[in-house]
Amino acid sequence: MAVITGSGIAGKRARTRNRAPGHASRMRFVAISLVPILSLIVLFSIVPIGIVIWLSFHRYNQLAPTSPWIGLRNYEFAFQTDPFFRNALGNTLKYALVAVPANIVLSLPIALGLNQIERLRALFRTAFFMPVVASAVAVSLLWTTIYDPQAGWLNAFLNQVGLSSQPWLKDPDLAIWAVLAAAVWQDLGYNILVFLAGLQGIPDDFYDAAKVDGANAWQRFRGITLPLLQRTTVFVLVLTMISYLQEFTHIQVMTQGGPIRSSETLVLYTYTKAFEDLQMGYASAMSIVLMGIILVITLVQLRLLRARWEY
Amino acid sequence: MATTTTPHAGSLHRQRRFRRIGMVILYTLFGIVAFTFTLPFFLMMSNAFKTSSEILRIPPTFIPRDPSLSSFRTVINEAPYFRWFGNSLLVSLSVTAMVLLTCSLAGYIFAKFTFPGRDAIFVVLLMTMMVPFPVLLIPSYLVVNKLGLVNSLWALIVPGMTSAFGIFLMRQFIAGIPNDLIEAARLDGASEWAIFARIVVPLARPPMAALGIFTFLAAWNDYLWPLIVINDLNKSTLPLALTFFNSQHAQRYDLVMAAAAMAVIPVIIVFVIFQRQIVNALVLAGLK
Repeated sequence: MAVITGSGIAGKRARTRNRAPGHASRMRFVAISLVPILSLIVLFSIVPIGIVIWLSFHRYNQLAPTSPWIGLRNYEFAFQTDPFFRNALGNTLKYALVAVPANIVLSLPIALGLNQIERLRALFRTAFFMPVVASAVAVSLLWTTIYDPQAGWLNAFLNQVGLSSQPWLKDPDLAIWAVLAAAVWQDLGYNILVFLAGLQGIPDDFYDAAKVDGANAWQRFRGITLPLLQRTTVFVLVLTMISYLQEFTHIQVMTQGGPIRSSETLVLYTYTKAFEDLQMGYASAMSIVLMGIILVITLVQLRLLRARWEY
Repeated sequence: MATTTTPHAGSLHRQRRFRRIGMVILYTLFGIVAFTFTLPFFLMMSNAFKTSSEILRIPPTFIPRDPSLSSFRTVINEAPYFRWFGNSLLVSLSVTAMVLLTCSLAGYIFAKFTFPGRDAIFVVLLMTMMVPFPVLLIPSYLVVNKLGLVNSLWALIVPGMTSAFGIFLMRQFIAGIPNDLIEAARLDGASEWAIFARIVVPLARPPMAALGIFTFLAAWNDYLWPLIVINDLNKSTLPLALTFFNSQHAQRYDLVMAAAAMAVIPVIIVFVIFQRQIVNALVLAGLK
């Protein structure tokens, strides 16, 4: 190390010569390209993860001069004291546990049907997919007008067929389900497409072979379609669950969480706490709880379903 | 044809007829379901074309008696609608262009270069994908606030300029491009940037189209993030502006639906034109 003369330079040269030609220019390319991109990732993904964990252990208010460390008190407050957290958590689970099966029970048969028809398939697919590309805010406003107790079409239709009007979004027992129906309507097309892609990935040979063996349509569905669609179904289940556990936009636009917090989801409550009540420490703790719930539910789903999909 | 009386042909014939009846039922069913399904969009257009007096009728009329464009005119005259539209377009196009550049570049590097710490960095990148966005809402706001970007369109563009998911998607695809192609160009004396621009990018078009469409739609329809970082009406994007417009014109469903329709229709037109690509893109982008 002490001898930094001739031999050191020679050694460096020898090393450089051992590398493939142009190594230096390649490394320069890698550095110049990756440094800005990774800085963005660090700044907007990794640093925020650190901040949200830090915040969850502190009492933090942007306007307050100090942010004292309070350990797990934010988490304790959520689970032991705050009735609104429990309410929001309950609403979120209720919402996701109904929306996911509803979505799959509707999208799978439609995909199966679309897979059977060839003519007009593109047209029907467009019809089912249009709501997916529309903005969730526009869709929420549209459904708000449909649900309007006085001027809405839904009540007009119900009256037409002899049923009585409902208050829909104004009714604490109905509001969350009314929003859910609108959200499922908007999202359905996406899962239809994914199921359709899964169905089209099943080779025709399988069906032909089963037909030769005399299997009827139901047997072919049970014996071929269902098992080979398992992978797609797991994918759809997990992703749909994750997205419904994060429901915000439809609820925020259509009911603002009301009436009397009956449709307030966890993300909406977190948002309100953080940006209206400015309790960012507490809100951070709640959002970490949400992440934990999403992680656990995803892992449980994968564990339960993987056992059945390994063929 | 008429004289084929062998039992086998008869059963085949019967089977075919059953199949045809089944198809008729299926198509009819689909027609009804698809019509019901798209009905809300007709209702949106119906309200948008009503006059301010007809909108008050109870029960609501299904087809406007006196269709007029007055509500569209009111939206354009009373609100900076084109400004909102322009903001949305500017933000979505900038984000999409940047995502395409950064993700294809980083994806190429992770796929085809070896450098110290590559695999560790890639694993960290994958881990950031698992964190749901709402969890990062508060800290991202604090970061953007610290950078002095709050309440400017930069707040909507800068944090979205790259995506871990996009890098992952591009890396998976570019890994399949033969190394020989890249090496050959290198031997011919092409610079690293030229190799990226002239060889990798043209070959990586399919996943780039997918990523671009996915990113554009997400940026165009985003609501939660603009809601937090923008509070100036002139800097609003369309979804955010729609809720504001709605709060200003509560119960004026003709105006609200006209504004909503003007936000939705351009996307639907683009969707119908690029239908095949968009459908493939969203399925591909989802199947991470």
